Amino acid sequence: MATWAFARALFATNLRAALALRGAFVIQALFMLVNNLTFFVVWWVLLRRVPDLRGWRLGDIAMLFGITATSFGLVITVAGGVRHLGRAIEEGELDTLLTQPKPALLYALGMRSNASGVGDMVSGVLFLAMSGHLTLMSAPLVVVLILASAATFLGCGIVFHSLPFWLGRTETVSRQLWDLTITFAMYPEPLFGGVLRLLLFTAIPAGFVSYLPARMLRDPSSVMLAAALGGALVHVAVAVWVFNRGVRRYTSGSRFVAFG
Amino acid sequence: MSTAPAIRIHGLTKTFRVARTTLVRAVDGLTLAIAPGERVAFIGPNGAGKSTTLKVLSGILHPDEGEATVLGYVPWRDRRTLAFEIGTVFGQRSQLWYHLPPRDTFALLARVYEVDSSVHRRRLASLVEAFDLGACLDTPVRQLSLGQRMRAEIVASLLHAPRVLFLDEPTIGLDVSAKAAIRGLLRGQSQDGHATLLLTSHDTGDIEHVCERVVILHQGKVLWDGSIDGLRRRYMKTRRLTLWSEAEQLTLDLPGARVLAARPHVTEIALDPGTTPVGALVDAACRQGLLHDLTIEDTPLDEVIREIYGEAARHVS
Amino acid sequence: MTPRVAKYVAFGRVAAAHALENRAELGGRMAFVAIILGVFSSLWRAVAEHGIPIAADRAALVWYLAATEWIVLTAPTAHVDIEREIRSGDITCHLTRPFSYPLALVAQGIGMILVRGPFVGLAAFVCGVVLTGGAPSPTLLARFVPFAFMAMLLVYGLHVVIGLLAFWLTDVTPVFWIAQKLLFVLGGLMLPLTLYPDWMQRLAHLTPFPAMLGGPAGLLVPATAPDTVRLARDLAVWIVVVAIVARTLFERAVRTLQVSGG
Repeated sequence: MATWAFARALFATNLRAALALRGAFVIQALFMLVNNLTFFVVWWVLLRRVPDLRGWRLGDIAMLFGITATSFGLVITVAGGVRHLGRAIEEGELDTLLTQPKPALLYALGMRSNASGVGDMVSGVLFLAMSGHLTLMSAPLVVVLILASAATFLGCGIVFHSLPFWLGRTETVSRQLWDLTITFAMYPEPLFGGVLRLLLFTAIPAGFVSYLPARMLRDPSSVMLAAALGGALVHVAVAVWVFNRGVRRYTSGSRFVAFG
Repeated sequence: MSTAPAIRIHGLTKTFRVARTTLVRAVDGLTLAIAPGERVAFIGPNGAGKSTTLKVLSGILHPDEGEATVLGYVPWRDRRTLAFEIGTVFGQRSQLWYHLPPRDTFALLARVYEVDSSVHRRRLASLVEAFDLGACLDTPVRQLSLGQRMRAEIVASLLHAPRVLFLDEPTIGLDVSAKAAIRGLLRGQSQDGHATLLLTSHDTGDIEHVCERVVILHQGKVLWDGSIDGLRRRYMKTRRLTLWSEAEQLTLDLPGARVLAARPHVTEIALDPGTTPVGALVDAACRQGLLHDLTIEDTPLDEVIREIYGEAARHVS
Repeated sequence: MTPRVAKYVAFGRVAAAHALENRAELGGRMAFVAIILGVFSSLWRAVAEHGIPIAADRAALVWYLAATEWIVLTAPTAHVDIEREIRSGDITCHLTRPFSYPLALVAQGIGMILVRGPFVGLAAFVCGVVLTGGAPSPTLLARFVPFAFMAMLLVYGLHVVIGLLAFWLTDVTPVFWIAQKLLFVLGGLMLPLTLYPDWMQRLAHLTPFPAMLGGPAGLLVPATAPDTVRLARDLAVWIVVVAIVARTLFERAVRTLQVSGG
């Protein structure tokens, strides 16, 4: 199918652009890796002195980091344009995409990539390996869960960064909502009570990004798997719908150029 | 060739919200038709509605009221289908990937427009030759000069042999020779490929060298629509004459003649040939002494257009 | 006020006005501090189920985090703006004008801190009270605030140094990530340094990071309270060091610009 060929070509071009500055690519990937590992040290310090946190041990935290980092890294590498979507909308960068015969959203997402995503993915895999939850047996399940998690991440990212269609300049808010999702996704679920947990499975879907996959890996069940996959599908579908509705209201950066 | 218009606009209206409370009508009941193969320039002051119209026609914006079809398609409804047939060049935006050579962007576009690889190769070769891009094809875009980049942008928009080409300020920021090169290429491509061209610009040179028809927009409406020659004939009745005379000063007190500037031995005159024929003026000058040299020009297009805006503004107030 | 001082006060004032106008940014930081405190209050409660491994209670640890987060969230991320100015070449315009760019940066930093500090501090304080049902004594707070202010300046100074590296590096963001994580870990953002293994504590104290976070925050947690004299000395020393580094980098950069033309 032509769209699939296009997506592949887009990804290849994107990768080539990212690699065009070879040195910067390596540094970004490497530094992100170190960044994630360093942050994990805090948990290591704490969990040396405390046996567990409501049933969660260091290995479980490592698994959480692993899922979040890998799926986030995947989104940044393959669909890195999501973080830039808000600015693209506000400054009329969607113009060129809209005049070409391919889905504008796909194009916008695949137009950018950041080497830090590779660093995230590598650190994520390392964390998963450290956690003991990644075995030959569990590997296929881990892959599926990471894909579902990444899809959810991408979906909510698209929604957050599409807010400018309706609300104008919201770059800060969009970024903060996105950061919040990541932040919450890196803390164990048992820390959060009822109301908050509801929020974390809806507006700020850290629940679908990491809690469900984590639950699946600690205690597999088909219900949980269906929920994780279903959640991912819903998020992506909603995101596409939101974006397409937003395009109808697109005003093409007339903020800058006086209309005319 | 079909006689149905390539582009048809009827009663098009588009309003924008500026600041929190002000609404501006960028396009106001615009009605227009463009035949296949025509090369049309849209001009007007900032805020006249040129870029907005272009963006509605290329499917970027949804209008508030009115109808428009491009090649029979409704741009905002049939965006993806129409996109295969149109090409766009936005002077202030780029569709070239910054860190990669143009060749890579062209390859991606071949996929975007689903162009068969052999067709793509042939077309690319011919365009590269026509636009003299051989040297730049493998240089990263960020290292290209503005002129080279613009040529690459236009090649990018022509790769899929579009039937309609929309250009928004394509020569902005370019030096004189780069502008001349691009204008020639655009005209050539349109003539060879029978493509319809719709161009917005502030530069009257673009109009004169590329297009045959001019549409002047003002406050979202059509102020003038016709050929450039027609524009000249209707508004530019005055001729501008410069006379180099033996006499230090010339007295040319004839009806329809107005002295614009006078320096020793040089006199500039604006003349309405309808009132006083050019010959009569020259005779009068010759009777005052030897005439060394003489130039006759049309009123510059710039001034004509300014005159038209001025008229329109006076109508409004 | 001499015209020279007035110049920099003006810089500070503009930066302050700008920070005040950016409501979304302020609101976002206030919300973030509230959320993080909520999460950690939960965390310490969970830890307390097994006994907290230092002589401090949950409430004290929440106030500790409120203090460190206040410092981190108030210190302006100067490196972003500095990098942008260097990349766009705007910085060369500054060089033709009669002011010292580094001093202007200091003035701007102070302006921004004076605006953001109260807002974020208020959010942190209110959350602290709500989550712990109490507050540190006014004496403790009075002693804490000036140290916190110095710490914010020091963190800002670090960001400035990172920003100036943009003259030589193609992208300073990765450097910022690492520095920030080192700050969080070795500065004891979430956990007081007394929880760390001895060797880590010794390593940390070789860096400016404990003086930036754990030191001042510790003033609110009696069990981990550092020696105020030593803390004051450490802060002063590190501020001087960072200032010298920043100044040297800037001068080196200007010389490079003048030689190779930017």
